[in-house]
Amino acid sequence: MEFDWSQEDIQHRRDVQAFLKEELPDNWEEMSQHGPGGDSQAQFSRHFCSRMAERGWLTQHWPSEYGGRDCEPWRHSIVGEEMWSVGEPRGSQYMNVNWIGPAIMNYGSEQQKALHLPKISTGQVLWCQGFSEPEAGSDLVALRTRAEKIDNQYVINGSKIWTSYCNHADFIFLLVRTDPSSSRHRGISVLLVPMDTEGIEVREIPSVVGERYFHEVFFTDVTVPTDVLLGEANNGWNVVNYALQFERIGAARYARAAVTLDKLAELARERGMLEDPIVVDRLGEARALCEAARVLVYKVIDIRAKGLPPTADTQLARVLSTTCDNAIGRLALEIFGQESREYASFADTNFRMAMTAGIAVGATEVQLNLIASRFLELPKE
Amino acid sequence: MNFELNEDQQAITESVDRLLAQHAGATRTIELNGHGMYDDALHQLLDESGFSTIARDLASEDGPAGLEAALIVEAVARAGGVVACAAQMLVAPAVQEAAITGPITLCTLDDLKKPVPLRFGAHAKTLLVLGIRDVHVIPLTPEDLKPVRSSFGYPMGRLAKADRFADLNAAGNCLGPNAALAMANWWRLSLAVEAVGTMDAALTHTVGYLKQRRQFGRSIGSFQAIQHRLSLCAIGVEASRWLVREAAYHGAPTEAVAAAAAFTLETADQVFTETHQMSGAIGFTCEFDLHVWSMRLLALRQELGGVGGARRALVEARWGNQP
Repeated sequence: MEFDWSQEDIQHRRDVQAFLKEELPDNWEEMSQHGPGGDSQAQFSRHFCSRMAERGWLTQHWPSEYGGRDCEPWRHSIVGEEMWSVGEPRGSQYMNVNWIGPAIMNYGSEQQKALHLPKISTGQVLWCQGFSEPEAGSDLVALRTRAEKIDNQYVINGSKIWTSYCNHADFIFLLVRTDPSSSRHRGISVLLVPMDTEGIEVREIPSVVGERYFHEVFFTDVTVPTDVLLGEANNGWNVVNYALQFERIGAARYARAAVTLDKLAELARERGMLEDPIVVDRLGEARALCEAARVLVYKVIDIRAKGLPPTADTQLARVLSTTCDNAIGRLALEIFGQESREYASFADTNFRMAMTAGIAVGATEVQLNLIASRFLELPKE
Repeated sequence: MNFELNEDQQAITESVDRLLAQHAGATRTIELNGHGMYDDALHQLLDESGFSTIARDLASEDGPAGLEAALIVEAVARAGGVVACAAQMLVAPAVQEAAITGPITLCTLDDLKKPVPLRFGAHAKTLLVLGIRDVHVIPLTPEDLKPVRSSFGYPMGRLAKADRFADLNAAGNCLGPNAALAMANWWRLSLAVEAVGTMDAALTHTVGYLKQRRQFGRSIGSFQAIQHRLSLCAIGVEASRWLVREAAYHGAPTEAVAAAAAFTLETADQVFTETHQMSGAIGFTCEFDLHVWSMRLLALRQELGGVGGARRALVEARWGNQP
């Protein structure tokens, strides 16, 4: 057991920080106020990720045969922490490198790998995930969007909801029911569908989270060739579970929360609020929470770095990471008080970006169910 | 980074677990607690097996082997051992190179003034006092100590003669300011280490009970309302475990210790509350083992300023609290 970063990792973190200083435009704070799905950030991500790719950093944890550098997941986690700390300039492309690419590597045909992986590893493509539906939220296996196989084509009908990043996406990682007689987790497949296919319509759902955050995606007789199927037909549930193990701790929420907290503490000091024992207590509580979330995420990265099968540690880390993000988002409102009422102010932006944390990628309650059954081995009955 | 025990650490934990399986456990703790006794036999076995001095014996140029010692203290706490091993194995090696005679009890200047009941205070042979700038190492005699009855799971004692400790420099040896910082950090971390082992055992015991106990025609542990709360406790315990081990590995730096203690001691309250609530009335009885660990959690939260003290130390270490 040892908890040191290697000298190479320490240097890599410094290099990434210097790169960010160099690459982020002066108006980055304004640009990033709507989050990774915002128009300007999505646009910027194509430029930024290309620059990262030129450095060989975008997919450095991937195998070299797919455009990576065979680096340990630890190296990629450093990039994740630094990117989230400044508001994720990779935009939605963090998903590409964290789990969409790895899922294609694991389940994709040679043709799919050749089509998608170079685009991802060079930062040229935006993806979104088509999972939730109006009647399939936390209960994802209730999904109804169907893809009917007719000759060598799938004809897709149905709709997805709460979809982020889809207004700028080139492809959707789409979960559909391919066996009409199936139910629950059987008969589900994953299709890699170009978003410019005829019959796909995107509508924004206005929300208090921010602009371009939630969308509905409608599929009306969307016809695609069967070679968009990822893995075997009707085996999509396994593909998704594989992918979600990466996604659940893919966003280094604790890192952004920790940076936000540092700024809050600085502001509290400037305003003399550190003389208030209640403020000190809240700041201490929040900092401890950030550290607790970080160490649980590191435990998962350690498991991944050793090539071991995923465990319920992923769920433990996910819950604490989102708890931490939410807690510091709310603390920002308290410290900034009425100033946070202004849209896109520091506290407002941080709060909005954190407020969906406990819902996205499986609600906290779903994670707690999994911890109960897999970690504590409690009976279902 | 590597979260797995290395071969030496594996051997140490297996060895101490074997010893504890034979010579400690809830039944023995209940028996000793019933008479306000200290486990001299277990203390001696830990000494003879080399566990008590492991931090010094495996020390490197970076300092005592705190992580290995912490793993042992965590295991002893899990077994409910009635020994002052945290002070002996974690705090003493950090303040002074030469061995300090145990059992050791710890206190602050404020604790001394009141004076408050101290853990192992009726049996200690050495008192370590954390001063503002110094640490005082004071040998104790049985006349210095008075047993105190307590509900909180450890044998407690109070210093009997206040005048004997009026002049600390005369009462014992005085160590310099480096020792004071080291003592504060390792004491705070040792509380968290003990809390981790203790919470672990309390939660494991409760989960085991809730799997078996049936009400409304099904096991209590199958209700989602219970499962979610147990899962939240498990998250707290696991995060505490790794924060504490990481801080011990790094030699107990102030900020890491304060974060580990702030989180762990807060979780200790959650685990106390939830394990008792879920265990029902049987959880309060002496025949049910939960109290061996649960009541101790509350005692651990009382030392060195508890959660609030750890949070203040954390804010001071990270941001400085001067306006």
